[in-house]
Amino acid sequence: MNGYGFRHVARMERIKLGSVRSTWWLATAAVVAMAAAGTGVGLGYRSHTPVATAAQILNNSLGGAIVAQLLLGALGVLVVTGEYGTGMIRSTFAAVPRRRVVLAAKAAVCGGAALAVGLVASFAGYLGGQLAIRGTAIPAASLSDPAILRAVVLTGGYLGATALIGVGIGTIMRHSGAAIGTLFGLMFVPMIVAGLFGESGIAVGRFVPLLMLLNSIAVTSPIPGLFSGWISSLLMCGYAAAAILCGGVLLRHRNA
Amino acid sequence: MVSGFWPPTARNSVSCVIELRELTKRYGGRIAVDGLSVRVQPGVVTGFLGPNGSGKSTTMRMILGLDAPDGGEALVGGVRYPDLNWPLKTVGALLDAGAFHPGRSARAHLTALAASNDIPGSRVEQVLRIVGLSDAATRRAGTYSLGMRQRLGVAVALLGDPGVLLLDEPVNGLDPEGIRWIRDLLRGLAAEGRTVFVSSHLIAEMALTADRLVVIGRGRLLAETTVAELAAGHDSLEDAFFRLTSQATDYRGVGAS
Repeated sequence: MNGYGFRHVARMERIKLGSVRSTWWLATAAVVAMAAAGTGVGLGYRSHTPVATAAQILNNSLGGAIVAQLLLGALGVLVVTGEYGTGMIRSTFAAVPRRRVVLAAKAAVCGGAALAVGLVASFAGYLGGQLAIRGTAIPAASLSDPAILRAVVLTGGYLGATALIGVGIGTIMRHSGAAIGTLFGLMFVPMIVAGLFGESGIAVGRFVPLLMLLNSIAVTSPIPGLFSGWISSLLMCGYAAAAILCGGVLLRHRNA
Repeated sequence: MVSGFWPPTARNSVSCVIELRELTKRYGGRIAVDGLSVRVQPGVVTGFLGPNGSGKSTTMRMILGLDAPDGGEALVGGVRYPDLNWPLKTVGALLDAGAFHPGRSARAHLTALAASNDIPGSRVEQVLRIVGLSDAATRRAGTYSLGMRQRLGVAVALLGDPGVLLLDEPVNGLDPEGIRWIRDLLRGLAAEGRTVFVSSHLIAEMALTADRLVVIGRGRLLAETTVAELAAGHDSLEDAFFRLTSQATDYRGVGAS
C-alpha cells in the first residue's frame, strides 16, 4: 500500500468524534430540544380555537430546529477548535501532514453524523407534535404526504449543513469561543438586518439561514418570495462549502 | 528490543537520517532559526542543546511540517515530512506533554492516531504496556499527572515503530525514576539502529543520555560535536556549555545583591 489516504484519516476522525463526551451531549440535546419543542407546540394547540391545521402543527413543531442548529453548529466548530485549544491538532497534523485531507475527513465524518442526528431530531420534533395532538380534532400530518416528508427531511439536512458551516468557521477562526460566537452571530444578525428593510427585506431574507429554515425549509409550503425548500437547502450546502473551502485555503500555510 | 516490530537489521539507515539545510524561520521581525544546517545520524542518541528560546522547539516543529520554514528545508531520509507515505511509521515525535484532548482516554487517543496510519490495534496495547499506562488506559487523559502525560506522548512517538524519534524536552516533569526510564528507552532505541534526536536545556542530563551533541544559540549552530569533545579542556561540561552559549542568549541576569 502506498501511503495513507482519506479512508484512514476518516477512520481516525470517526474514533475521535465518538470518544469525547461533548459529541454525545450535543447530539442528545439536539434531539431532546426538537422533541420537546414539537411536543410543546402540539400540547399548546390542543385546546386552541379555531382548530389548527395540519400545516400549522407541522411548521411549528419543527421550531426546535432553532436550538438544534446552534447545538449541532457548535458540534461542528468543536470538532476543529477542540483540537486547537488542547494541542491535539499537533498530534493530528504530525500523523497526517496533508492538512486538507484532515479537513475533508472532518467534514465528511462530522457532516455525516450531524445529518444523521439532524434527521432523528427533526423526526422527533414531528413525532412529538403528532403524538401531542392525538385525540383532538386537529388533522394528523402523515409522512406519506410528500410536502410533510420533504419538510422533515430537509430540516435534518439543514441541521447537517449547519454543522458543516461550523467546521468551516472553526477552521478559519481556530478558537472555540470566537468561532461559536461568530456562528451564532451569522445565524441571527442577518435575520435582524433583513427585518430592517421591511417589505423589501424578503429579497435579502431569502438568503438568510434562519429565515430559510423557518419559512422555506421546515414548512409545508414556503411563504411567497422565498426559495423552495430544496433551493434553500442547496444554498445552505453552498454556504457550508464556501466556509470549508476558506478554511482549507487558510490551513495550508499556517503554523500549527 | 524496546518496542519490537522488526529486527534492527531490517532498517535502512539512509532512510533514517535527519538533514537540515539552511533551515530558517522568522516570527514577525525576530529570527528564531537562522540558516541551520545539521545532519543527525542513526544508531546514536543526538542531544539538541541550547538555552531557552534558542530555537530548538521551532526546529523540531519545522522537521514535522507543523511550522513552515521561511528558508531552507528539513528532510527525513531525503523526503520532506508532508511527502512521507506513513508519517507515524517513519518519524515518532514527542513535542509537548499536552498534545491530546483531555476528555479522551489514552486508548482512544492512541487508537485514533493509529487508524490514520493503518497501525493495528494490537500495537496500541503494546505501546501502552511499554510506557506503563495499560492500567490507566481507559481514564480521561486530562486526569493524568504530568509524568503520565509525558508517557502518553512517548507512547504516541513509539506507535508506528518509527526509525526516527524526535523528542522535545522529554524529561520535563518526570521524577528521577521516569528520567532514568526515558534515558534507558532512548539509548535502547538508538542501539537498535534508530535515529534519536532529543532536545534539552539540561546539560547534565544530556551528558548521561546523548552520544553526540548539536548545540544552538539564537537559532544558529554553535557546535556539532560529541559529549567528550565538548567537555575537553574545561572543568566541566556545564562550563563548556556556558562558554559556548554565553554570547547567544536574549536574556541575562545579574547578581542579585
